[in-house]
Amino acid sequence: MDVSRRQFVTSSVTAAAAVAAGAWPSAAVAQTPKKGGTLRVGFYIEAATMDPHLSGSKVDRQIYHNIYEPLVVLDTKLGIKPGLAESWAQPDAKTLVFKLRRGVKFHDGTDFNAEAAKFNFDRMKTEPKSIRKGEVANIDSVEVVDPQTIKVNLKKPDASLLATLTDRAGMMVSPKVVQERGVELGRNAKGAGTGPFEFVEWIKDDHLVIKRNDNYWNKQGGPYLDRVRYRPIPDDTVKLQSLQSGEIDVIDYVQPRDVAAVKADQNAVVVDVPSLADFAYQLNFGRPPFNVKALRQAVAYAVDLEQIVKGVWLNVGYPANGPIPPTSWAYDKSIPFIKRDPAKAKAKLAEGGKPGGFEFTMTTNNIPISVQEAEVIQAQLREAGITMKIKLVDASTLISDGNAKNFDMISFQWSGRPDPDGNIYQFFHTTPGTSFNWSGISNEKLDTLLDRSREVSSQAERKKIFSDITRILQDELPMLFIIHPIEPKAFSQRVQGYEPIPDGMMRFKDVWLK
Amino acid sequence: MLVLVTAGVFVLLHLTPGDPVDAMMAESADATAKESLRRELGLDRPLAVQYVAWMGRLLRGDLGRSIRNGEPVLENVSRRLRPSLELATLAMTTALVVAFPIAIASAVRHNTGVDRAGTTFALFGLCMPNFLLALLLIFVFGVTLRWLPISGYLDPLEEGWLGLRSLVLPAVTLGLALAAVITRTLRSSLLEALGEDYVRTARAKGLSESVVIRGHVLKNALIPVVTVVGLQLGTLIGGAVITEYVFALPGVGRLVVDAVFARDYPLVQGVILLIALGFIVTNLAVDLLYGWIDPRIRIR
Repeated sequence: MDVSRRQFVTSSVTAAAAVAAGAWPSAAVAQTPKKGGTLRVGFYIEAATMDPHLSGSKVDRQIYHNIYEPLVVLDTKLGIKPGLAESWAQPDAKTLVFKLRRGVKFHDGTDFNAEAAKFNFDRMKTEPKSIRKGEVANIDSVEVVDPQTIKVNLKKPDASLLATLTDRAGMMVSPKVVQERGVELGRNAKGAGTGPFEFVEWIKDDHLVIKRNDNYWNKQGGPYLDRVRYRPIPDDTVKLQSLQSGEIDVIDYVQPRDVAAVKADQNAVVVDVPSLADFAYQLNFGRPPFNVKALRQAVAYAVDLEQIVKGVWLNVGYPANGPIPPTSWAYDKSIPFIKRDPAKAKAKLAEGGKPGGFEFTMTTNNIPISVQEAEVIQAQLREAGITMKIKLVDASTLISDGNAKNFDMISFQWSGRPDPDGNIYQFFHTTPGTSFNWSGISNEKLDTLLDRSREVSSQAERKKIFSDITRILQDELPMLFIIHPIEPKAFSQRVQGYEPIPDGMMRFKDVWLK
Repeated sequence: MLVLVTAGVFVLLHLTPGDPVDAMMAESADATAKESLRRELGLDRPLAVQYVAWMGRLLRGDLGRSIRNGEPVLENVSRRLRPSLELATLAMTTALVVAFPIAIASAVRHNTGVDRAGTTFALFGLCMPNFLLALLLIFVFGVTLRWLPISGYLDPLEEGWLGLRSLVLPAVTLGLALAAVITRTLRSSLLEALGEDYVRTARAKGLSESVVIRGHVLKNALIPVVTVVGLQLGTLIGGAVITEYVFALPGVGRLVVDAVFARDYPLVQGVILLIALGFIVTNLAVDLLYGWIDPRIRIR
């Protein structure tokens, strides 16, 4: 399907206009939300655990954002707004004081207060299987000042911490549930959250149900739905057909190849949610051929990003100039993405001592779109005289090879974080041992800039620093950035009130069914 | 036999790159946390030690716990058995109901239009990829005609008719492929039996054709078919993976594939062991069935 960029933009603008005019209640169109009904949601994989401190999967978060609540929340522009914390202040660079909301209760009836908040942070730091440890590594300790106030002491100034607290690291779980249920929480989250919905039941690989919390503290707006029923439907075609035939009401992701067809379908509404993600390939600095900078640059000049975004992703995304997505305040549109330049590629090959080209292997996921992308890159590189072999692996093997630095060029698809730091720091900062810095880059100038980006608190200043970082990344190429994907979500006509937030999480608090 | 299977699976699993800790903590780069989790799970011990430990627990009837959700392996599997068994039963029933008439008609009206139609059907069933048939059936009966649900599982034993409806398309998908093999096998063994001397004798005695078929030929022709059905049943429980994926059924096939992707060692080993066990039991039943069908083969 050859959709030109202009066609795509025009059609999505029209769709967006139609959506704004017809389906979603805005300030101008007054549609009264109706209470009731069960929203049926289809996901591509099953959730892993209901314990936000132990969770490593994106699908889990979709459910968490309805039953749990973080201290602070994101708005549609990625701004940070009060969540369970009413307000916060920074008396000095290494201290954060949160004033917590009054009168909030967990679904099990216990109070949410400073003690509960401290319990949560302590658990994130000390629980052996906690995956949040890295995210809260900068937190030295949390003190209870009074029942509604906590004081967070940091090891170093960290401008990115607040954004991290809008997701799992800021989510509050009922201490009573944790103490009573322990590891069972992973399967059964009854009573554990404070959110607009509460957990009912979970039959693995079949369905997960949450129901309206009638005692929700926020009396403005929803929740309106009686229940939300999540179903994992692994096959994309079947998932889409389920939506089109009315068996489900929402799907979390429409494959690029299906987007045009779904947009043309009268029964469905597609919302393009530009994401925080960046999809790239890490290049191994530790061994030939990519220990030679010129050869990395040769590959970058030989690859045609526009062709990949248009031909493989069908323009469901933007060519990437670096790790920061266009949705971010830190995105610098004055820095162009690396354009294909056969002459420069040739020159770089000679500079790198391989004028006749060279050979290497790309390791990537064994899923159709990754395979397609790999084949396109293979063809593009062949034109420059570079021979690329493709090694297809499953997710576990990919992670294992990456961590062990057993690759030349390896696929890396990061779902993205609200603060640019989440897309940058741990991947490019010098880190001995195992880390996400799979390329092994160790650049003093980069390290200094990365550390400064966390210490400085002015957004304008941080933006300048991130721009400098992006330019260095384009030169050093620890990663070859490909695309910032859009996450198209599809809904049946009955679904009203959905507000897309760029983190791609579907929050159903104000959603209702016609 | 079982020891060989389990040892083989154990070795293959552990030799594959990636381990459960990497899979579980994919979004974390905390090496210390991962190492301590590995120690806790005993994954840092030599392979032989791990295998012996697993065997030891097994002999005490303990299949261990899934690494991902901490629940006993047996519980994980038993929850998924029902949908798989129901699907297997319905699929096999469909297969037999479809295959027998076609095979008999083909054999009796050998080399006529009926026969050609029958063999074409069998060929079609053999060549048609499982998932393609599934998607086609979904498109026709689920999306276009809206007669049947597209995906998802409802238990027939609890929801009766609704449950059966949810299993019709998956059962037909699986069943048609099975039917193809059974048709061919039955047809050729029927043809062979029809050429035997005792058939001529029976016909000479004046017995009607249907009595000849039912009373004499069918029973003798059944032996190769029973073998085939036995083998198919053995693989159905854990092997209907693609069907389970396409129709989103919470069965054993999906369980074991997801467990392999997540490198959930105890779960994979436990499930494969149980599937192997099921296979052996089914084959034993087949052997006993031979004895009933053909007294000549009875086990003494």
